Amino acid sequence: MTSPRERPAWGAIVPFLLPATVFYLGLTAYPVIRTVWNSVHEVLPRREAYVGGAHYVELWADDTFWRAVRNTVTWALVAPFLEVSIALLLALALYARVPAARILRIAWFTPVLMSYVVVGIVWMWIYNYDWGAANAILRAVGLGHWAQPWLGTTDTALPALIVVTTWMWTGFNMVVLLAALHALPTEVIEAAELDRCGWGAKLTRVMVPLILPTILNLLVLSFVGKMKIFDLVWITTKGGPLWSTETVSTYVYKRAFEWSTFDLGYPSAIATVWFVIVMSFVAVLTWMVRRQQKLEY
Amino acid sequence: MWGRVLARAAVMLVIVLWTMFAAGPFLWVATISLRTTSEFMAAPYALPETWRFDKFATAWTGSGYDTYFTNSILVVFSAVAIVTAVGAMAAHALARYRFPGNRLVYLLIFSTIVLPPQITVIALFQTLAKLGLYDTRVGLTLVYAAVQLPLTVYILESFFARIPADLFDAARIDGYSEWATFWKVAFPVAMPAIATVVILNTILLWNEFLYAVVLIADDARRTLPLGIQKFMGDQLEDYGMIATGLMIAIVPVVLIYAIFSEKLIQGMTAGAVK
Amino acid sequence: MATVTLDRLGKRYAGGGAPAVQDVTFEVAHGEFFVLLGPSGCGKSTTLRMIAGLEAITEGTLAIDGKRMNEVPARDRDIAMVFQSYALYPHMSVYDNMAFGLRRRAMPKAEIDRRVRVAAAILGLEPFLGRRPHALSGGQRQRVAVGRAIVRDPKVFLFDEPLSNLDAALRASTRQELIRLHRRLGATMIYVTHDQVEAMTMGDRICIMDHGRVAQIGAPLDVYRRPATTFVAGFLGSPPMNLLPATVADGRVRLGEATLTLPARVPEGPVTLGVRPEDLVPVPEGPLRGEVVAVEPLGAETILSLRLPGVERELMLRAGRSAPAGLGERIALVAPHDAIHLFDAATGCRLT
Ligand SMILES: Nc1ncnc2c1ncn2[C@@H]1O[C@H](COP(=O)(O)OP(=O)(O)OP(=O)(O)O)[C@@H](O)[C@H]1O
Ligand SMILES: [Mg+2]
Repeated sequence: MTSPRERPAWGAIVPFLLPATVFYLGLTAYPVIRTVWNSVHEVLPRREAYVGGAHYVELWADDTFWRAVRNTVTWALVAPFLEVSIALLLALALYARVPAARILRIAWFTPVLMSYVVVGIVWMWIYNYDWGAANAILRAVGLGHWAQPWLGTTDTALPALIVVTTWMWTGFNMVVLLAALHALPTEVIEAAELDRCGWGAKLTRVMVPLILPTILNLLVLSFVGKMKIFDLVWITTKGGPLWSTETVSTYVYKRAFEWSTFDLGYPSAIATVWFVIVMSFVAVLTWMVRRQQKLEY
Repeated sequence: MWGRVLARAAVMLVIVLWTMFAAGPFLWVATISLRTTSEFMAAPYALPETWRFDKFATAWTGSGYDTYFTNSILVVFSAVAIVTAVGAMAAHALARYRFPGNRLVYLLIFSTIVLPPQITVIALFQTLAKLGLYDTRVGLTLVYAAVQLPLTVYILESFFARIPADLFDAARIDGYSEWATFWKVAFPVAMPAIATVVILNTILLWNEFLYAVVLIADDARRTLPLGIQKFMGDQLEDYGMIATGLMIAIVPVVLIYAIFSEKLIQGMTAGAVK
Repeated sequence: MATVTLDRLGKRYAGGGAPAVQDVTFEVAHGEFFVLLGPSGCGKSTTLRMIAGLEAITEGTLAIDGKRMNEVPARDRDIAMVFQSYALYPHMSVYDNMAFGLRRRAMPKAEIDRRVRVAAAILGLEPFLGRRPHALSGGQRQRVAVGRAIVRDPKVFLFDEPLSNLDAALRASTRQELIRLHRRLGATMIYVTHDQVEAMTMGDRICIMDHGRVAQIGAPLDVYRRPATTFVAGFLGSPPMNLLPATVADGRVRLGEATLTLPARVPEGPVTLGVRPEDLVPVPEGPLRGEVVAVEPLGAETILSLRLPGVERELMLRAGRSAPAGLGERIALVAPHDAIHLFDAATGCRLT
């Protein structure tokens, strides 16, 4: 039940909204607008000059940018499915009334609470060629010839990082899915049991369709998170080797603060393009999820 | 019968493997943090023979972790205090009052949650530089408060909306102004949700890296994630010491999580469950 | 103590549509217990909330002790209100719940303490002063809500269905407690309810509302005995008054195939005839004859439903412990002259 909203004098509302508005306008809305403004200017420390769409034209022909887009989109498309499908498996395992499910749920959630800096360093070590756990395990099971510097090889660096985000976020997805499973009306599942449905049929025909809205929500959330990814890459590979893990975010950062071009206009143009892309993806995906949910009822 | 047992075994196997996968890295770092680098290089996966807790003292005083830790505490706690107050006030107004644009404001805030940070970070750098707040803890604190504001308002709004309107009417009859009613009734009644956002924001900001790396330059003002990154850059090979630094960053999070696990899970998943 | 005067009070919500409250006029005297009664959605709460200052008045005037109150904020009206949900502050102890309204008034601590303890003693809340509301039973919570009003010593007490969340037994005893409290405090009280038993037993006067308008105001028994409209007649009493279509002609009333003498002079034409179930007396031979179609024995009384020849609606009859006739039997009835009520068939207004 929600309480009815009332309509009081503006004098009563303004004090509540003013601080948030100041923060929002000053440190969120203005920076967004300023970035868009930047993107059509050359922004040097002491000089700003209007350049129109020049940055965008340059961007169109910028191979590194397209490489970064490809990497980021790959990440954002692959990771959600890995995370959510493994999470679903784990959630079902815990749903099957195993001992210590409560503690396992809490334990599996832990990685997501860690800083990407910490996670990045730990996984750099795990991927270390000489003594990292990945290679150590391969050698132990007799697959030593597969051992390689996972983050140092162009072919494996991106997949290796996708493994890291999957490791980090699967527990989170699992907790949400488990909650959704527990929220299912027991009658529905019991009805399925009475219908002599096997476990597999019960799962695919009854349970998964019922939690589909949650699954879609999680996929969107994970997708959006990966579209923004920066910290992990910055700590582990800085986009290397040879741009094989460059993401849009790291590229923006490099062009703004690392390369000594000093122009903030060009990275702003990248950020603007990415902002538009991410927000339209979110809008479309949310709309699709909404529509899906409407069908449910 | 055998099928059942087999299925059960498969489930247990999945659970054990994932638990090892999820927890292994942390346990490994924990062991390294108590060993010297040479001990570690000799046997990377051995348990500590002598538990070298003194390494924490060394990291704390000798490698600047005291500074990083203090900076993190200062910035994170102030930002969380600010964002809680500012966010709760806004959430209350959005939940309780009907005014033109109410839903528009809400929608705007909601869409800001998914905003890619790159779209603001460059301009924030410019703005703070202009205001003389670049490379200051105050500047970072204000930015942090602004960054967490949308999520805070989003979570609190749905809670405030569930407070019965009668409670506010009673306070009005008891003679309290809207402002006093908020602080004396709405805010304390919303304590469970407030606690959730406080814990959630603390963890998220404690781990924050991008804004910090852009807006802080001087070593004396680095927060923990920056400090760790720098330490790793300086002492790339000193794994033992880096691990100790990592543990200094991890332990507070684990402690908070151990005490408030359900609240934290609730906060983290608030957006996803909807 | 105070008088409360409503003069053509009205409320139109911003959303449009029909006004929620319209043309409500009455005056509540010093120390009077005044009840607003009516079905759900008739505007009782809205009226009360306008008196409290929780809802803006869109038409008419409200005065307390002769002073216009329309623009005075709730806190300066010196009223106290008990809500249906009790609206206790969940994060405060019982003591603090009661003291909260006094603290704002910069009252000395000792005086606050004295008042809270007096109120707690009156309501038997002393053992619970340190508890939070969630650790109280429904009845105890209800008393805290009343206590919160008492400590304020207001000019006017407002109650919005304060008993409707209690179970039947508790409701009866709390009703008695509130009556005693009213006698003891001698305060002006305005009490909203949709329960006619509460209204009949507690009110000095009751005001029955229908679709945002006043249908009738008067002492409970007057209203019961001489309902001003068919709405009031049909709302009070259980089972309510029988209301049957009839025709006046030749100085008599025709009800289906039966004919009754007129209780008073009324113009000829269609009317609605009202007679209370308890006013009908079974007799060996009488003007009203009908067949019993249902028997509901309730222990202390029996309710019979009769079908009269030529009358579409059934007639309810309240009899003693044993039914005067069984299912399917025919039975004759009479009603005393003064128990026959006639209403205008079109407007529903009383004719006699
Ligand atoms: N905030 C509002 N906006 C628009 N209409 C409202 C509002 N509050 C009440 N109403 C309408 O005003 C009318 C009277 O409502 P009110 O709450 O006074 O009824 P009530 O007699 O107290 O009924 P109940 O016994 O159910 O409490 C109803 O038709 C209701 O729908
Ligand atoms: Mg009401």
